[in-house]
Amino acid sequence: MIQLYGVSKKYGPFRDALFDVSFRIQPGEFVFLTGPSGAGKSTLLRLLFLEEPPTTGQILVNGRNTGVLPLSQVPYLRRTMGVVFQDFKLIARKTVFENISFVQNVLGLPRAEQKRRAYHVLKRVGLHHQMNAYPDELSGGEQQRVAIARAIVNEPTVLLADEPTGNLDPVLSEEIMRLFVEINIRGTTVLVATHDLELIRRMGKRALMLERGRLHDPDRSRPESAPIVREAPFLPLT
Amino acid sequence: MSVRPRYVVAEAWSIAKSSPRQTLAAVTLIALALYVPGLLALLARNLGRLAVSDAGDPAAVVITLQPQADGRALAARLAQDARIRTVRIVGSEAALQRFRRAYPDLGAILAELKEAPFPPSLEVMLQPGAPPAAATEIAGTARLWPGVESVEAAEEFSRRFRDAVSLVRNAGLFLGGILTLAAILSVASAVRLALDLHRDEVGIMRLMGATEGAIRAPFWLYATAEGLLGGGIALGLLYATYRFATYWLARDPHPVLSVLWVGFLSVPASLLLPAAGAAAGLAGSLLSLGNRHTRRVTRIG
Repeated sequence: MIQLYGVSKKYGPFRDALFDVSFRIQPGEFVFLTGPSGAGKSTLLRLLFLEEPPTTGQILVNGRNTGVLPLSQVPYLRRTMGVVFQDFKLIARKTVFENISFVQNVLGLPRAEQKRRAYHVLKRVGLHHQMNAYPDELSGGEQQRVAIARAIVNEPTVLLADEPTGNLDPVLSEEIMRLFVEINIRGTTVLVATHDLELIRRMGKRALMLERGRLHDPDRSRPESAPIVREAPFLPLT
Repeated sequence: MSVRPRYVVAEAWSIAKSSPRQTLAAVTLIALALYVPGLLALLARNLGRLAVSDAGDPAAVVITLQPQADGRALAARLAQDARIRTVRIVGSEAALQRFRRAYPDLGAILAELKEAPFPPSLEVMLQPGAPPAAATEIAGTARLWPGVESVEAAEEFSRRFRDAVSLVRNAGLFLGGILTLAAILSVASAVRLALDLHRDEVGIMRLMGATEGAIRAPFWLYATAEGLLGGGIALGLLYATYRFATYWLARDPHPVLSVLWVGFLSVPASLLLPAAGAAAGLAGSLLSLGNRHTRRVTRIG
């Protein structure tokens, strides 16, 4: 579960990246975060995975108030979240397997178990035959699928994705979205930031719209121009 | 949860491989930084053996006696002077024993001698408050006594010699301090550069839930190993220098150096070099991995 209460983020004295943002995402929900470039989508995600603190307000992730969380506990909370980025953020000098099993490796999980888990998640994203490939040897879509596999290997309760289809063509974008839906069906809360309104329409999920750092939540006050179409046809799963 | 040692070693090796030039530069600088004070310590150790008296206090006046002289009578005569604290009678055999203890490496040569090569002598120690000219005055008086072969007011020479050895030792410490500081800064730069090269990875690792210990431990190990290697190379260079000097002095003996240059650093002193290198490496990494390189989440009220 994700909850924000009156969250603001200022960069310097005059620039409000986010202003008084409040919303709640229920466990197992699939939500889009949308808005034009510079609206504050990425800033909001950075606050959620504790890369930055909010200037004011409270953030609860998985029942933990991030504002009062001891620094030593931050990595452990992050392990309950998976993060996917637009630019994949794979480590180029590591293989697909090493990228995915990084945290398990650090923690000393037996290599056989690491391999089993990596194979399992790679199979879910259709890349189990690329375990020993390096990121540079993969296409953009494949790299993003590896990033998704890395994000879900720890079986997170929350999956955050920042423009995950920004670098992909429409066909690959739909593939990636299908993966997110599959992950969501298994119980993971998914929050996807994207400016692709067409994609949101097709998915027919709840959307939170940010504009100049302010939230237009259609569940609370839906502006007429809000691009929320709940009636849109659901993407078929493969 | 603790960080897996195998992961730390593998990552440290990976860091070293990713910036080989910086690693080499840091190791070289640490080796040089430790070699120079090590060389001065080696010199001080060998010279110092002359400066330190076997019997404790250094003698202010050394009176060399003729073989038939009555050492006890002359000692008693000297003891009447209020400026004198102690008179030590050193027989020929005692002098030989003392030399053997000071230069055990020359034992084989000394063993071949049929008779003691050192004449008997009297060593005069002065009272702590004795005037500076006392040694010279006592030497001048004793020189006129029967049975006295020669007299040396050794105080001045001894003091100068001890001062010279002390200067070499202090120069070693001073230079060592400066060079070690330079080595620490060099390691810090190497680690910072490695950190910059891996900045993206560090960011990803952090987002994946890696603890600060898991992120920093490979860098700590990398820098410590760099220092350890640098210290080891310095020790190897120092030993090579010592062996070369020994070989050179054996081929072309020098009247003073050949006698003095007889021993390498003790085992604890030798081990101090790699230990100091490792400490410098660790200090450098701690310096470069300060909190400003770690993105922190601050608490909100």
